[in-house]
Parts: sequence; structure tokens; C-alpha cells
Amino acid sequence: MSGTRILIGFVVAFCLAAAGTASAYHTAFVANNCNYAAPTPTSSITRDGSTTVALRARYEGYQWGGGCWNDNNFDDSPGDPTENPSTGGEGGDCSGFTFKVWRESLSTGDAGFYQWGMLRNVHGPYKAEHFKNGTGAPNVTLSKSAAIKMDALAKTTHIGMIYATNADGTDQIIEAKGEAYGTNIWTRAYRGDSSYSGVRRTGWSG
Amino acid sequence: MDRHYVTNPKVKNVAGLAAGAIAGVAVAVLAGTAVANRLASNAEEPLIEATHLPPLLTAPNEQIELRYDVYCLPDDAATDAPCDAAGTVFVRSGDTGPFREVSLLDDPAADEGRFLARVPEDIAASRIGFSYYAVLRSKGGGATVTLPAGGATAPQRSIPLGPSVDIRLGAHLFGAARKADIRVARAVWGTQAGEVGLEQGRNLTPIGGSAFDVDRNGTVYVLDEANRRLLRWPSGAGAPISMPLSINGTLADMSVDGEGTIHVLETTNDPGRAPLLRAFDRTGAAKAATEVVERASQIRIGPNGPVVLQHPSGQWMSAAIDGRPLPPSDQRRSGRAGRPLPGGSEIVILRRGNEIRAALVGASGVRRAWRVTSETPLAEIQLAEPLGNRLLLVTRVYTDDRGEFLVLVLDQSGVQRSFSLASAGWAETAPLSRFRLVGSSLFQLGSTPAGLFVDRFDLEVK
Repeated sequence: MSGTRILIGFVVAFCLAAAGTASAYHTAFVANNCNYAAPTPTSSITRDGSTTVALRARYEGYQWGGGCWNDNNFDDSPGDPTENPSTGGEGGDCSGFTFKVWRESLSTGDAGFYQWGMLRNVHGPYKAEHFKNGTGAPNVTLSKSAAIKMDALAKTTHIGMIYATNADGTDQIIEAKGEAYGTNIWTRAYRGDSSYSGVRRTGWSG
Repeated sequence: MDRHYVTNPKVKNVAGLAAGAIAGVAVAVLAGTAVANRLASNAEEPLIEATHLPPLLTAPNEQIELRYDVYCLPDDAATDAPCDAAGTVFVRSGDTGPFREVSLLDDPAADEGRFLARVPEDIAASRIGFSYYAVLRSKGGGATVTLPAGGATAPQRSIPLGPSVDIRLGAHLFGAARKADIRVARAVWGTQAGEVGLEQGRNLTPIGGSAFDVDRNGTVYVLDEANRRLLRWPSGAGAPISMPLSINGTLADMSVDGEGTIHVLETTNDPGRAPLLRAFDRTGAAKAATEVVERASQIRIGPNGPVVLQHPSGQWMSAAIDGRPLPPSDQRRSGRAGRPLPGGSEIVILRRGNEIRAALVGASGVRRAWRVTSETPLAEIQLAEPLGNRLLLVTRVYTDDRGEFLVLVLDQSGVQRSFSLASAGWAETAPLSRFRLVGSSLFQLGSTPAGLFVDRFDLEVK
């Protein structure tokens, strides 16, 4: 009996502690860590540089409608409710991630380059389908067969950027995939999938 | 007082609960500490990444360059300057003897593969090809990465294609896809018995039935990752038998070996940890879980156990031999360019632009080789399997708004047979998990908004 009671106490305390911690993560990451600072205009953008920006978001989780992450290689708000874009968790969603990596403007008529800090909470004006259609001054559609590193493959519900190409013809894609997946690099077969289109951010200088 | 505590049931209950609570909090704190330690450990990992598309199969008189992209993450989070990298490629003729050092050149004008090594002409012209590996270094932080991961013990291999069967495909005719000979498995989306799970939501593209396999008896296995189970259709069965599996899912790949062991390759991993390869027995009981070395995209069954295609090495590595999981160091040492086949040979494939090169390679070199060019763009090679003395090749042809699979049976004279198949990919699967060849039957995993199915296409005239 004594052992049973100890076990019950253990489980209850552990669950309460874990739940309290999880609850804090779910609701407070953006509030506690993110900012709304103005972006820094830059004169150029390179594919290598943008890849570096993207790699910083790796392992930092996924948040539908989000766009704020740190660089501790850990999802600070795991297990967010997947159908709620307002849970204030860490990470971008697929289009917010692309917007930030491509250094775009909140103004869809502006094709200039804007450096957003990792902890700047910004999603940008584009959904995946906007990118797919080449909506916005910085974005154009292009033939998928011409897509290279840091171009993107987009469908109405998702977008991912090309990180590398594999010998078997698949691509390694860096993308914010979903709450259960986070943001990372995976091998994908998007290129030949008819639901995906090729998208390019204009103005790369290298 | 002590005695009173022991004999008073209420107090005894409270004391028990309190002791448990203290223990629970202690464990929670320890767990938190472990997470913190893991984070600290992650922060100390070398911040350097590299990519490379290996010239696995080369054509005569082809200029051979080894190109790499290198990314290093400076401490200054605001900096996105290209990585100031250096490195050396170690290259040699064939796969024995000393390596020759070639310094990397910086080609800043290149959109891809900014760091370049030119293979010395005498080595590039070697009739037995060459092997190589690269050690890449961030000048700033000093972090290094070796590619492929096995370095000198398992260098990448580049092989001359030699005399090949050259095939020129014209423009692909879309809309003439072959119908299945028989639908061997089907299930509607759902969570109940006989249904297959679907990951979906307003912010997630539909994902379901991420991988499948078929054994020699014709039993179809589908990894129902959303419901964390395996669905099994014995030959001729109308409804599946489900078996719970302890998996994370998330677009996992799967293969079933000849003894019925189910190998599931998880593709999503925690930071600082590699993806897991899990093995289950016929009843679904967990047998082993092994970390693979790198990002992994495919699992297949090799002559001695499961082999996994890993990146950025771009090599097939053994994950277990005769049921014994291999530690990472042994996995790295097992890296090879081709997928090992029963009998000791391997199949090497390379898709570049609108061309596919494929070779069956034995100990003495290339046994048979094919070179397929297409007017319509080619995407991934879904399947490349020996079919007797022939080769079955399944690739995807695409335009910007269409896509189909093209099935080619290649022999020594060219295309013995070809047909196209509808993409049938409403739900996303693991990237290279849509086809399997068993005997002379090709199986395709497909889906619609209603559910999932597996179709069979017989390749021989019966």
C-alpha cells in the first residue's frame, strides 16, 4: 500500500510539474522572447547567406502563423495545438520561414532586402499559395527544372526551399513542415509532384 | 511522533504522497537538467554543414569537378556572410593506395558548389575510376566536417560508366497511364479498424500511409504512421490486419526482411541525435532501435541486413548485420555509393538534369550500364532494381503542371518495355516509398482523397 501511495504521489507530482512547464512553453515563448523591431535594409542577398539564415532555424520548432525563433537547437514550445495559429510558440510556419529567409518586405510591392532578426516575430504577408503563384514584387514563378539552391517548391498548402540535390534526383529541402516535424532538412520528391510549382526570390547576387 | 506517523493511516497516506511528490519533483528536475545538458552539448557542436553532389557515374571525356557548398554559422546571429571555408579533397585512382591532396578553390560566382576541386587528369582518366573524400574547414571557428563521414575508410566512389546502352526518350505523352492488373490493398482514411490514418490540418499537407512493402508471399504491409501501426494484407485478403508499432512516424520509410522483421526508419530526429532505425518482430514487439549516422531518406534490405541511404555523405550504410545493430563508427565505415544487392554486386544511379545513369557494379567493375536521356524533365528515380539480366527503372517525368511515373524495363538492346503510371499521390509519403518490385510484379502505393491503395502491375506476359 505504501509503495502504491508513493507511486501515486510521484506520478501526480511529475505530471503537474511537466504540465506546468509545457503550459508555460505553449503560451509564453513569443511573449517572453520575441520583439517587433524594425528590419535592417540590406543592399544584397546571397544564396549562401540565406542558407545560413535558414540553418539557424533548424531544430527550432514550428508555429502556424509564427515567425520567431532563437538558436538553441531546441523547440521551446513543443506539442502546440496544431489548429491554432495564436499559441505563441517558437518557430515559423512554412511561408513565414521562407519570408524571413528570403529577406522580404512587409509591403508586397517592395522587392528590397530586409534582414529580420531571429527573434523578430514576423510572418510576412504571404501564404504558401501566394508564393506558389509568384505573388509579390520579390517573388516569381520559374520552371521547376531550373530551380536551384534556395529557390523554393510551393503548393497551395506548403512551401520548402531547396538545400541540395541528391544523386537519385530527389532534393534535400529545408522547410518548416509541421508541429510534429519542426523545421529541418529532409529528402523530398516535391520537384516532380504536379501540385508543386517552382518559385524564386528575385535579386540574388550570388 | 515517528510511531504516530507510522500508525496513523491518514498521516501515513499523506507521508506516502509527500514522499512520492518529492521523488516526482526530483525526477522532473533531473530530467530538466538532462535537457539543459543536452542543449549545452548541442551548443558545442561544430557549426559547419556541407553538401556535395557526387559524380557517381562518369561518361567518357567528361570534365570531372568535385563541388561543395559549405555553411558555417558565425556566433554573430546577424551575420549571413558566406562561409569563409577551406579544405582538402583526398583523391586516388581506384579504391586502393595513397590519396593525393587537392586543395579546394573558391568559385564565388557559382550559384551552387562554390568550393571546387579539380580531379587531376591522370586520376580522372583512370579506367577504374577514383575514390575521394573531403575535409572541409571553417577558417573562422576552425570547425571541420568530413564528407563522406567515413573519410579514408569509406571514401566516395566515382566509376566510369564504360560501354553503356544509350536510350533517348522523346517527349513524354501524358495521360496514357496504364491501369493496374489488380488492386491488392485498399483502405479508407480514418482511425478505425481497417482504415489508414491521415495527418492533416489547415496548416499541414495531407500525409498518410508513408511507406509500404510486399513480401514474397504477396503480403502487403503499409506503415500506418498516423495511427502508429502496421496494416497487413495477406495475399487475397480484402481487409487488413492491424498491428500496433511503437513509432514516432513523421514520414517514416519501411522495409520488411525475409524473416519478417519490420524495419522502420524514422526521418525526424531530435537535435543532436540522428534519426532512429527501429526493428520489430512479426508480432510488432520491438527488437532494437539504432541511431543512424546522418539524415536518412531510404531503407532497403541488403544481403546482410538493412541498409540506409544517408546524407550529406550520399552513401548507403549498413545499419545492422545479421540482426546486430551497428554503432555509428561501423556504419560510417560501411558507406558505399551503390545500394548493395544479394550476390555482392550493387546498383549505382545518378540523375543529372534530364539524364539518368544506372550501372550494375560487381567486384570487377561495371557489369552493365544504361544511360537514359529524356526530352521531358526527369525528377527522382523511384526504383532501380535488377530484373533477371535486365533493369527495372521507375522515374518521374514532369512539366510545371503535370507529373507521371515512367516505368522502363531495360535490357542490353535498349528499352524492352515501357509504360507510364499516374502519380496517384494525393497524400504525401516518404519520398522514395511508392514502388516495390517482387518477382516480376511491380507494386505502387497510391492515394486519393478517399483513401489509400496498393496496385500491382505484372511485367511479364503470362
